[in-house]
Amino acid sequence: MFVCFQVSALFREAVKRRIILRFALGGCTNRPFYKLVVANRRRARDGPYIENLGSYDPMPNSEGERLVAVNVNGIKRWLGSGAEVTLPVAKILGLGGILPLHPMSITAAERKRRKSA
Amino acid sequence: MDHVKVKTLVIHRWFDERRTDQRVSHQWRVKGEREGGREREREGERGRERERERTMSTMSTMMVCRLFRAASCPFPFTAWPVCVQGPRHDSMMCTESRPAVSSFDDPEVQKVLMSMTTLNVEHIFRPVKQALQPPTYKVMTDKQLQEAHEKAIEKAKELLTPPPVLPERQPIDEVLSHDKCIAGLEASKYIFTDISSKISERERLIVVREVDGTLRKATWEERDRMMQIYFPREGRQLKRPPLFNDEHLQVHKRCYEDLAERGKHDLLKSTRYFPGFVWHLVLTKQFEGLLFKFLQDQAIEEAANLIWLFNRLHPESRSSVEASGKALSKVELIQNFAQTDAQNVGKIDLALQAYLVTTKDYVEA
Repeated sequence: MFVCFQVSALFREAVKRRIILRFALGGCTNRPFYKLVVANRRRARDGPYIENLGSYDPMPNSEGERLVAVNVNGIKRWLGSGAEVTLPVAKILGLGGILPLHPMSITAAERKRRKSA
Repeated sequence: MDHVKVKTLVIHRWFDERRTDQRVSHQWRVKGEREGGREREREGERGRERERERTMSTMSTMMVCRLFRAASCPFPFTAWPVCVQGPRHDSMMCTESRPAVSSFDDPEVQKVLMSMTTLNVEHIFRPVKQALQPPTYKVMTDKQLQEAHEKAIEKAKELLTPPPVLPERQPIDEVLSHDKCIAGLEASKYIFTDISSKISERERLIVVREVDGTLRKATWEERDRMMQIYFPREGRQLKRPPLFNDEHLQVHKRCYEDLAERGKHDLLKSTRYFPGFVWHLVLTKQFEGLLFKFLQDQAIEEAANLIWLFNRLHPESRSSVEASGKALSKVELIQNFAQTDAQNVGKIDLALQAYLVTTKDYVEA
């Protein structure tokens, strides 16, 4: 019993201290802009973070491109240290070739094609 | 929120291998202000010489000189971004022909070129617009003066080191992955730029995920834009100035050809640009004006060197074939060229005759 309590307390602590790679929203109304950020899971989405590892601009520019900046060394370092990655970040990094393509991206693409066909 | 646990770190190989085997041209960068620019050029030169040994995979800084106006002082450079479209991108010191027999860096070629670029100390250290300062006076003995003079000559030689003439940069056409499974997922393409620190511009990976799922490396134009966005350089713009929209814009060649046409070779004499200038003229066989000038100025050594260079760079030409294996004197070398490959045979012959007559007179007198 005592051991279980200790383990679950440890687990709760670990959950609190999870380091996550996620997008922090910035920009302004009708103009989102995301920072790729390493942060403690319990922090606010747009609040203080540990490190900024890049950015993602979801709005296409005049050339029709969506720009993503990625600090690959930093990402490798944090992922190697056990940080987790949120779904949007995983998908974007998959698109970039840094992580493997997310299976849901593939599924979504298939569904889209099936719908339009 | 579902957090994705990355159990196995699968970072794709192209982000690990920053260097590829693509050799890329290496554009010289010149700044506007002469003094400050020279310092940075020399630093850059050393750094780039080191880099040249490694295989380079990414684009380097772009630069262009303003269109040369023959009447005014040559080459007021700015670090201006040039996105010249098409594969025949031209930058400061690119040559258009494919690997010549001798490269610009050949020590023999360099020696010949530097001898043609005469070391005129007065010209090299001519008065330059500087910040106003009270003049400094030094009291020197004869020996000190001599040493100072020697030092000045050394400095002049340093200032005369020419920027390298390098091959044009080839268009980037590498596809990393054809992922047709995600075709149609996104409505617009993504450009991913690696913003890790301590990576040289050439090695920096910039990839594009197209709408059809292809993951490819970014083209030069895309690279330039991304580098300017994330690592901006002063004086550069994101969008190409409309002046440079000419598809066949080859600024430095136009400058050289304009100079050669107007016979204003002397404007570049005793400057760093003369070797590159001569190199281009000889490569494109437009150097007869220069040859004529050398003969007029009684510079037989330089004229002979010019023909020597021509023979080196065009070994299949008649002049080179006939001159090979023979020990020709300077005059004979030029005569050989005049009879075989020259376009203005009459003019060169005349100049040679005039030279021979005057030297004969001088010798006799």
